[in-house]
Amino acid sequence: MSDELLEPWRPTAGAWDRAAAAHLYRRAGFGATPAELERALEVGHEASLEQLFAERTEPALRASIRPLLAAGELELLQAWWMGLILAGGAPLHERMTLVWHDLFATSNDKVDDVRLMHAQNELFRTQGLGDFRALLHALARDPAMLVWLDGDSNRRGHANENFAREVLELFTLGIGNYEERDVQEAARAFSGWGTEGRASVFRAAQHDDGEKTLFAHAGRWSSDDALDLILAQPACARHVARVLLEAFVGSEVQEPWIAAVVAELVRCEWNVERVLRALLSSKLFFSPAARRARIAGPVELVAVAARALGARVAPRRAARWAAEMGQALFRPPSVKGWDGGRAWIHSGSWIARHNALVELARGGADEGEVHVDLALVLGAGAGEALAAALLERLLPDTADAELAAALRRTLRQPDLEQARIAGAALLLTTPEFQLF
Amino acid sequence: MLVTRRRFLIDGLRVTALVPALAGFARPCSGSQAERVLVVVQLTGGNDGLNTVVPLRQDGYFRARPTLGMKPSNLHALDADHGLHPSLGELGELFAEGQLSVVQGVGYPGANRSHFRSLEIWHSADPAQPPRGIGWLGRMADQILRTAPGSMPALHVGDEELPLALMGRSVFAPTVRDEHSLRLAELPSLADERSRLVAPGAATGDLAFLRGAARSAYAAAERMERAIAQPASSAYPDLDLAAKLRLIARLVAGGFDTRLFLVTLGGFDTHARQAQLHAARLDELARSLAAFQRDLTALGARERVLTFVFSEFGRRVEENASRGTDHGAAAPVFLAGGRMSGGMKGTPPDLEHLVDGDVGFTTDFRSLYTALERDWMGLEPSTSVPAFELGG
Repeated sequence: MSDELLEPWRPTAGAWDRAAAAHLYRRAGFGATPAELERALEVGHEASLEQLFAERTEPALRASIRPLLAAGELELLQAWWMGLILAGGAPLHERMTLVWHDLFATSNDKVDDVRLMHAQNELFRTQGLGDFRALLHALARDPAMLVWLDGDSNRRGHANENFAREVLELFTLGIGNYEERDVQEAARAFSGWGTEGRASVFRAAQHDDGEKTLFAHAGRWSSDDALDLILAQPACARHVARVLLEAFVGSEVQEPWIAAVVAELVRCEWNVERVLRALLSSKLFFSPAARRARIAGPVELVAVAARALGARVAPRRAARWAAEMGQALFRPPSVKGWDGGRAWIHSGSWIARHNALVELARGGADEGEVHVDLALVLGAGAGEALAAALLERLLPDTADAELAAALRRTLRQPDLEQARIAGAALLLTTPEFQLF
Repeated sequence: MLVTRRRFLIDGLRVTALVPALAGFARPCSGSQAERVLVVVQLTGGNDGLNTVVPLRQDGYFRARPTLGMKPSNLHALDADHGLHPSLGELGELFAEGQLSVVQGVGYPGANRSHFRSLEIWHSADPAQPPRGIGWLGRMADQILRTAPGSMPALHVGDEELPLALMGRSVFAPTVRDEHSLRLAELPSLADERSRLVAPGAATGDLAFLRGAARSAYAAAERMERAIAQPASSAYPDLDLAAKLRLIARLVAGGFDTRLFLVTLGGFDTHARQAQLHAARLDELARSLAAFQRDLTALGARERVLTFVFSEFGRRVEENASRGTDHGAAAPVFLAGGRMSGGMKGTPPDLEHLVDGDVGFTTDFRSLYTALERDWMGLEPSTSVPAFELGG
């Protein structure tokens, strides 16, 4: 059964529709603009996928942060990344960057250096679709990570277990797949790695080069040896599979899904891009079980909503909205990252979602940071035509009669522009729209 | 005398509660008990219990803490053997006034040194099982909601994700960050349609969950508008925890029907250079909590609000080479306000008999939960662990 899950999806006539295309763009990227969605429908799902993998962020846009880093302001860095996400130049790469930021969650609250946070973010962007093993090895020497999890304090004879514990518990294996002793021994293997200025450094004199026993293997393990031993644990591939499934398929991950992705990870020798190619073109990905099966996180919600309306939102405004909803980029709440799923939602965050989405539908109201031309996106029609256009743009896969009736009642107002705003605000703030 | 009488009453009421057909579980306690409030303050990261309540007569303490050990002369005396950290002066005053209890050696069997797992254990009151998405406060909120439908039994004040402790079966505890966080920007033409679209309907799974959350959010926004029409006290220090506690005092005094509050104070994971970091965190705790108690006294609400301060674990007895401490086990907790008599409770740590280098637990935190759930709140406890004697 699990063999079939990742077989390529072969849509029957009409199955590659607006709902399917919107699903692909919501998951693999940060949603589609009206123009992107039309094009996707035209070229078909294989070509659309191909393009998602081929696209790279525009170099000028990516470099635009460099002169601003000297200011040391996190808000600028947050706005820069949000800008890359909203621009949609390389949706899959930005999506994967966010997935890794959530897994290897590092916060500027402790690192306190935007250059280090930026460098780690670029590491995710450039290596995030490559070999996971290489990414993990790079992370262990990433200066932001070394500051975040106390690398400098981890010295021979005076182990600091912070990094070792989180690598095992959160990054690779999960609780129950290692012993307390493994944490202590891994910490010894990682000892000596720290930072000097903004660079990582290995201080041989502070490395504990004695024998360590990790998962019952004894040896004079180095940091890299320890990571290889961890990667060889069966639980590691399962952990990574779960991370990818929760991000791309749905929050209720099922055992056969994990088995299928683990097999793919092994087959693709940990190459994330190849695994994602299989996953995103699979029967599983397009199956009903995967549709609208995740509660949208704040960053993706803001980006998808803005892009669906063809809106231009100042990145710093979008980043602030996401922060108010509980996802401040570069400031995950802990090394565990954002819990996601239902944990995104509480009264405070719901009202933050509500307020931001109403502001987006209104457009233009605040300091010129939100531009939206609803007439352009929804056409000149009123009444039924407007209702159909709104549903097509925002909830193409929802056939709820009550919702449609509520929308029609809302649109019954004399001013057409006010009707468009009210209709868009109504749909964006429905519980249905929060499901991606 | 008073203690005996109250315990007798509660025991009597538990008998009634067992016969719901006759008495109804709707009013298991006297009018005043139904108005009682529990505020939980979580010190996130693992508070160093030994430098919070210092066992100043134990040589083992000074041997294990060559640089981090506190000078006895700088401490605020609790009893002959213990003193509070120098930053906790205002808690020392509360203690002297009988408004603060210290329970030492609180933990659980099989101490877990993972922040996340240990927090889950404290939040769910279940050291053995993985959490099932229900926390001890959420369990109480479910019970309160059965007797007071339409109320908002529990509230999370902060900007972090909703803690497991507050998750219940039927209750969705809202989160508020400050007085302004529940202000709704609504288009007037949408208000009516909105309530229809979030009605329960036939939805299941995440959609049903989202609709429930939306209903709670819109109801909370309305309540907040009403409660913050009341003036606020200005006698709080300019600190995050103080702002959160001030909001709680306003809500309690303003007639908000919430009975369970949870706030967190982070920054206790002091692996390196602990002395300054820890002093600052404790300073924030002491000044905020003292201002809260004074405000509650002024508002006439002190006797019905009990504050419980805990952390997911204490820290390793022996300091590390980074002038910090690593994850440990048992630690003291604080209880403030309510009707307690204050004082030192529990068993002091025995530094000559450590468990894996940590302070072993002598009081199971679940016995405190039973006391808070049953004796303070008048509700069914989470577990069958016998109640800790709070006194008062």
